[in-house]
Amino acid sequence: MGAQPLMRIENLVKHFHVRLGAFGERAATVHALDDVNFDILEGETLSLVGESGCGKSTTGFTLLNLHRATEGKVIYQGKNIVELDEKAMRPYRRQLQIVFQDPYSTLNPRMTIGEAVGEPILFHKLATKAELKDRIATLLADVGLPPRFASRYPHELSGGQRQRVAIARALACQPKFIVCDEAISALDVSVQAQIINLLLDLQQKYGLTYLFIAHDLAVVRHISDRVGVMYLGRLAELATREELFEHPLHPYTKALLSAVPEADPAHERSRQRQILQGDVPSPLSPPSGCRFHTRCPIAMEICGKVVPEWREARAGHMVACHAVTEGLPG
Amino acid sequence: MSVVPMPGTAAEIEPPVSLWRDAWHRLRRNKLAVFGLVVVVILAFTALFGPYLTPYDFLSQDLNSRNLAPSLSHLFGTDDLGRDVFSRVVYGTRTAFLVAIVVTFIAVVIGVTLGALAGFFGGWLDRIVMWLTDMTMSIPNLLLVVVINASLKSPITSWMESRYLATLNPVYRETIWVDFLLVFGSMALISWPPYARLVRAQVLSIRSRPYITAAQALGLTNRIILMRYVVPNALGPLIVAVSAGLGTAMVLESAFSFLGVGVNPPTPSWGNMISDGLRVWQHYPHLLAAPAAVLGLASVAFSFLGDGLNDALNPRGAK
Repeated sequence: MGAQPLMRIENLVKHFHVRLGAFGERAATVHALDDVNFDILEGETLSLVGESGCGKSTTGFTLLNLHRATEGKVIYQGKNIVELDEKAMRPYRRQLQIVFQDPYSTLNPRMTIGEAVGEPILFHKLATKAELKDRIATLLADVGLPPRFASRYPHELSGGQRQRVAIARALACQPKFIVCDEAISALDVSVQAQIINLLLDLQQKYGLTYLFIAHDLAVVRHISDRVGVMYLGRLAELATREELFEHPLHPYTKALLSAVPEADPAHERSRQRQILQGDVPSPLSPPSGCRFHTRCPIAMEICGKVVPEWREARAGHMVACHAVTEGLPG
Repeated sequence: MSVVPMPGTAAEIEPPVSLWRDAWHRLRRNKLAVFGLVVVVILAFTALFGPYLTPYDFLSQDLNSRNLAPSLSHLFGTDDLGRDVFSRVVYGTRTAFLVAIVVTFIAVVIGVTLGALAGFFGGWLDRIVMWLTDMTMSIPNLLLVVVINASLKSPITSWMESRYLATLNPVYRETIWVDFLLVFGSMALISWPPYARLVRAQVLSIRSRPYITAAQALGLTNRIILMRYVVPNALGPLIVAVSAGLGTAMVLESAFSFLGVGVNPPTPSWGNMISDGLRVWQHYPHLLAAPAAVLGLASVAFSFLGDGLNDALNPRGAK
């Protein structure tokens, strides 16, 4: 890994304004994403994990400018792409792709696989009409589908096949970076393994960078270079895979990791499970200070008052927690 | 549902199954829908080539052969003025199709435009369009047609008569167009809200589908997304609604003509023929039976076809 940052996310904030009540009389703000900072390194697989609704997918959508960021920057090739309008964004759209969770609904049911894969190629002028057929066949071969699938429609394909098509369509843009937004969550376990291996092969072949959004920690452990843990719209911890799984610092990460079952029954019996009390607070009115303090087993007085600083506790190990003293001066 | 062919089997050489082709297969397997389709096609053919199919002129009277029972020379018999009922029914088909097609066309154009705009842009435009829709839907259609007939018809007709007397321009001679204009106009004005609502709902639901986000992520322009993603996916339910709407418009035209506020004699319409036949049905039942049977057949055929299309185009909704 060369460790050149491909993308730098600075103080990214995404709030959704919603109206509540039977007549929409109450305006409220969903704090989907608050003050998120991290780099995505070239060629790496960075995973974001966390419970449902913690903002992982919102991060993916916002940094691709599919949701307008409320505040903050996403620096890509020296440009803050989240402030670009749709037209200025277009050349970047080609380089920054996304694969969605549900392969059943991300393909236009009225377009054949060939049309779906060929559309971005023609639109971004990545091949001539004459080369198109070969290009589509190559892309389908890349994702392990025979070329005859080009004339099929999405409803004729299985979930795994459709997800392969979705990947082929992302690849058709010749991207540098792909957000995999729960890209395997909707698939059968056996198919998940195939798609993961496919993604890893393609990463090797084309030098891709992945932001892998997932909640399956076993998968994340298998494929990631670095892992970020999110809680209620904020990053709690971010470190390399070994560091995070072996030496978690944040109490939320520890709780999350302790929930992973062990395959070995001997280990499974002796596993210390740390069960968090209560539910995730509503993102409509997130807790003050550290957002985790309402459920944190080691919460201190300061946690409810001051937002913990996002800092480097060890080399390359970022954390936001008052209880972590490692790496503090003095 | 989704059939994934095994590699290397005969499925390999099968042509691709597009959703439209798939729908056509499903439609063909539905006997009632096929019956509806056949009847509709025959009626449409009759309407189109009416003048070449009728053995007599629909207006020519033969007072020596009044109220004849159906026979080989007069398939549906003759009426009280000795006119051939078959020819009149055929011309009534023309009237019915003309009214249905024009009214549905106008209603679809108004409805689709307003509905798509409301659904796509939302906000205050959506609210205004929906107000307009609700307002229009609250107007009783029969009352509106009666009011328009009572208020507009005689001034326009007398104005045309005076123009004709003044200029002898043949454009003003045929007041029949006033009938059509008023029937078309008033019916179209009250028929568009269902289309507007349908299209708005379609656009709203399609706009939030993941494949639209996926298309945006590819960088495609709004125009391409609208033309290649939104419109084709909204078309199915609209086709169903148009098929049902054509049948409804035909029945409505007949109903208005029956009540004397639609197409007026001597222009034949199923409705005014039923109205004429009703007065003498005890003596000459064929005068009532012929137009009523054809109207019933047309109505049932469009309804079957609409249901069949609905099942064929929205397979998940069926069972």
